[in-house]
Amino acid sequence: MAKEGAKVLGKSVPIMEARDKVTGRSQYVDDMKAELCVKMLGSPHAHAIIKSIDVSRAKKLKGVEAILTYKEVPRKLIPFRSQRACYAMDKHLRHVGDYVAAVAATSEAIAEEALDLIDVEYKVLPAVFDPEEAAKPTAPKIYPEGNINLTPREAPTLHDWGDIDKGFSEADVVVEDYFDVTPQLHAAIEPQVCLAQWQGDKLIINAATQTPWELRDMVAYVLGIPEGRVVVLTPNVGGGFGGKYVGRYPIITCLLSRMAGGKSTKLTFTREEAQCYTRRPRGKLYARVGAKKDGTITTLQYRAYFDIGAYGSYQGSLRLGAGKLSYKIENARFEAWHVHTNLFPCDSMRSVLLPFNSYAMESIIDEVTEKLGLDPAEVRLKNMPESGDMMPPKPYNHEFTGFKRARFDIYPGKQMLRQVMEKIGWKEKWKGAGKPTAIDGTKRRGIGLAYAGTHCGFLTLATTNIQVVINTDGSAVILSGAQEIGQGINTTLRMMAAESLGISLEDVAIVTSDTRTSQYEPTSARASHQLASDGHLLLKAIEEAKQKVREIVAPLLGATPGEIEIKRKKAYVKGNPEGAKPLRELLSSSVTASAVGPPGSTYPEVKPGFIAHQPLALAAEVEVDIETGVVTPIKLVIGLFPGRMINPGVVRGQAIGGVIQSLGMAIWEEFKYDEGASAYPSRDFTDYRIPRTLDIPKVEAVLLEEVDENSLPHEGLPYGARGIGEMTAWGASVAIANAIYNATGVRVKKSPATAEVVLEALKKESVK
Amino acid sequence: MEAAATKKIIKLVVNGKEHSLEISTNETLAEVLREKLNLTGAKIGCNRGECGACTVLIDGKAILSCLTLAIECGGKEVLTIEGLENPETGELDPIQEAFIENFGIQCGFCTPGMVMSAKALLDKNPNPSEEEIKEGIQGNLCRCTGYTQIIESILAAADKMRRL
Repeated sequence: MAKEGAKVLGKSVPIMEARDKVTGRSQYVDDMKAELCVKMLGSPHAHAIIKSIDVSRAKKLKGVEAILTYKEVPRKLIPFRSQRACYAMDKHLRHVGDYVAAVAATSEAIAEEALDLIDVEYKVLPAVFDPEEAAKPTAPKIYPEGNINLTPREAPTLHDWGDIDKGFSEADVVVEDYFDVTPQLHAAIEPQVCLAQWQGDKLIINAATQTPWELRDMVAYVLGIPEGRVVVLTPNVGGGFGGKYVGRYPIITCLLSRMAGGKSTKLTFTREEAQCYTRRPRGKLYARVGAKKDGTITTLQYRAYFDIGAYGSYQGSLRLGAGKLSYKIENARFEAWHVHTNLFPCDSMRSVLLPFNSYAMESIIDEVTEKLGLDPAEVRLKNMPESGDMMPPKPYNHEFTGFKRARFDIYPGKQMLRQVMEKIGWKEKWKGAGKPTAIDGTKRRGIGLAYAGTHCGFLTLATTNIQVVINTDGSAVILSGAQEIGQGINTTLRMMAAESLGISLEDVAIVTSDTRTSQYEPTSARASHQLASDGHLLLKAIEEAKQKVREIVAPLLGATPGEIEIKRKKAYVKGNPEGAKPLRELLSSSVTASAVGPPGSTYPEVKPGFIAHQPLALAAEVEVDIETGVVTPIKLVIGLFPGRMINPGVVRGQAIGGVIQSLGMAIWEEFKYDEGASAYPSRDFTDYRIPRTLDIPKVEAVLLEEVDENSLPHEGLPYGARGIGEMTAWGASVAIANAIYNATGVRVKKSPATAEVVLEALKKESVK
Repeated sequence: MEAAATKKIIKLVVNGKEHSLEISTNETLAEVLREKLNLTGAKIGCNRGECGACTVLIDGKAILSCLTLAIECGGKEVLTIEGLENPETGELDPIQEAFIENFGIQCGFCTPGMVMSAKALLDKNPNPSEEEIKEGIQGNLCRCTGYTQIIESILAAADKMRRL
């Protein structure tokens, strides 16, 4: 839906970096040269203490310029705000691959040789890999105070409302089940990389990061230098998905550069290191649901154990994640335990905990629906909220500005689910629960649905800034802390500015990805918030800049500032566009204004009491070979609510790209840890199979647009646009599990649904 | 280990330009292109032949430069992503244009390899079906796009090239 009269919005515009990327001209950090190559020695044990470490033999090797161990690392805890912060290196090693030492040498071969010359004695400790086991008081302690990563410690995160006992007593049918969703790796094609160099007393870091400001602050803190003397540059980032925030490796790279007398150091992860660096958690999920004969869900009880690995990250503070407000339920109890294990740590990945929460909820809703003899789509529609609905309390903690009960603003969930169903051919194909839509020898086809509600963007704790310059010629410059990682945010922000100023896209320049000139934004490319938060602040800043221009030009046009319109690089008195004068003739200098938020800003709460929530829907059609267990996806339909599409080509790209990433998690991407070998077999693309061209089914996207026209540009939702990037990668696992059930009558309760997992499930229960 | 490798001089034609290079016998073509010739378009995503980001053409055939020893390429013609653009006019190859116009690019890290595989495919088969495109680029991994807009880009490029 192009906005009426919109010149730029709603038109598909190639991202501004596209030409450089397609010609090979774009520079990524690993394309840059450094004097020294950094290699790291990883722990061979899942849990150990370094009894002694001797680097003297390695130091003597010609070409070795610096060696770092925990002894030289400043005792400063990172990352900030993490509920279980850590040191860049520690003598207590908590997972296989944990950092024992790092070497900077004149070549990769010398650095590798030096690692072999480091003598380490370990005291091996008992290890634990299962989050439920690790939560028990008898488990090996990864931290002296226990393995549960929450505040207060040793307690779950809880969000409950109503009375679940009453809910269960009112139910005609109760279903209880257990599900196991194993981790997905971020697996960006560009491995993590960092290059550190010094210019005088300034530390210049080139890093592939989603959050350059956060990295700047953290490096400055650990190295003990003023933040302003650390510069982070991010020329291009080759995919993130949550796997490239802050980390310990950039600090190690910077410390080595300092130890080597300021020589430049570069650390590029091998594929193996990249695949053993970050991941989603594993979720062991217990769910119980009660429903009445007519399909009304009376209560929902959910308990999850999330394995967050050896160290704290933002995962620990994300508590329960999204999806709790998917349905209008009077009584509910959500409980989550974030537990450390001796696996490498996890970090947020697109939709964070939503894939886990929805796997359990959307599976069990299909189960209860079958018991009631009802249609799974009808039960979802019956319990789904609508625009304006008052919802149960949202679990804002003390850090967030919140509302006791929230009202959804625009929520076209029902419309979305119906459209998604239509595109998968639900009406024609659905024959009932566990009844395949088609049978061909050993191959059976089935369809499945999934739905969820999630919030749009998030409230950031820290201050985000944006600056706008209106030049004397009427063109504009945006200075923003938004981070471009391929999602097209630079182009999207330029499009909004061009629309707001009535100028062409070419007339808007943008400065990002350089902490010397862009604006402070610690959260940057995180949680799909940039479109809403930066877009919202951008429109505020433009309004402010326009006001300044009005005040300057009003006397020159013989009017008051309130009477001045600014459009198309001109200013005129309202009602008299013929008398417009070019800004070039009116302004003797450019005009700058900025916008800051929050505090003082309320996004994504669009107005008090309302929350910007958005529905998500997914339909899958699969073919299951009951002899081999192989699941072949036939078709996927994803429903999203971008509100208003600023750049439709980009929105569609996010939708399809995300749902295919989610498909990998559903069927092929199998994280593996081999306890006997102390190794991760999922360390390469052969054993950890991300989707390839020949795997992908037909994909369609339903992209709904609906805007409250009375309040544009929307406070918090610029032009009504909502971020959807991460909301694309949430639900294929459960939509496919439901489709497998439809095809075979057997419920797969473990994700991914590899041939092995499906075959095992088929063996347990005879195929109906 | 570096010490074990011997040095050799080879002639390599890269993007139409002849180079005489001293290389180690254990150096890969990717290393020579990226480090000696500063042609960093071919990317290293895995350095083990799994991701296709380092794809270049040798005598018209798509190969993985991270698994190819430079010593084997003596006297051969190498085409990299940098060689597709017309250096005089700045005109892009129709495949490059189509990738830009059809949103076949997100983070861009797989793009050079993807474009080179597409070029090898279209040079051989100017009118590929969707299935043939999927087969032609099956060795190239992309984590961002889900491939659909890449396949659409290659279909559009084929269409452009037929019209030329």
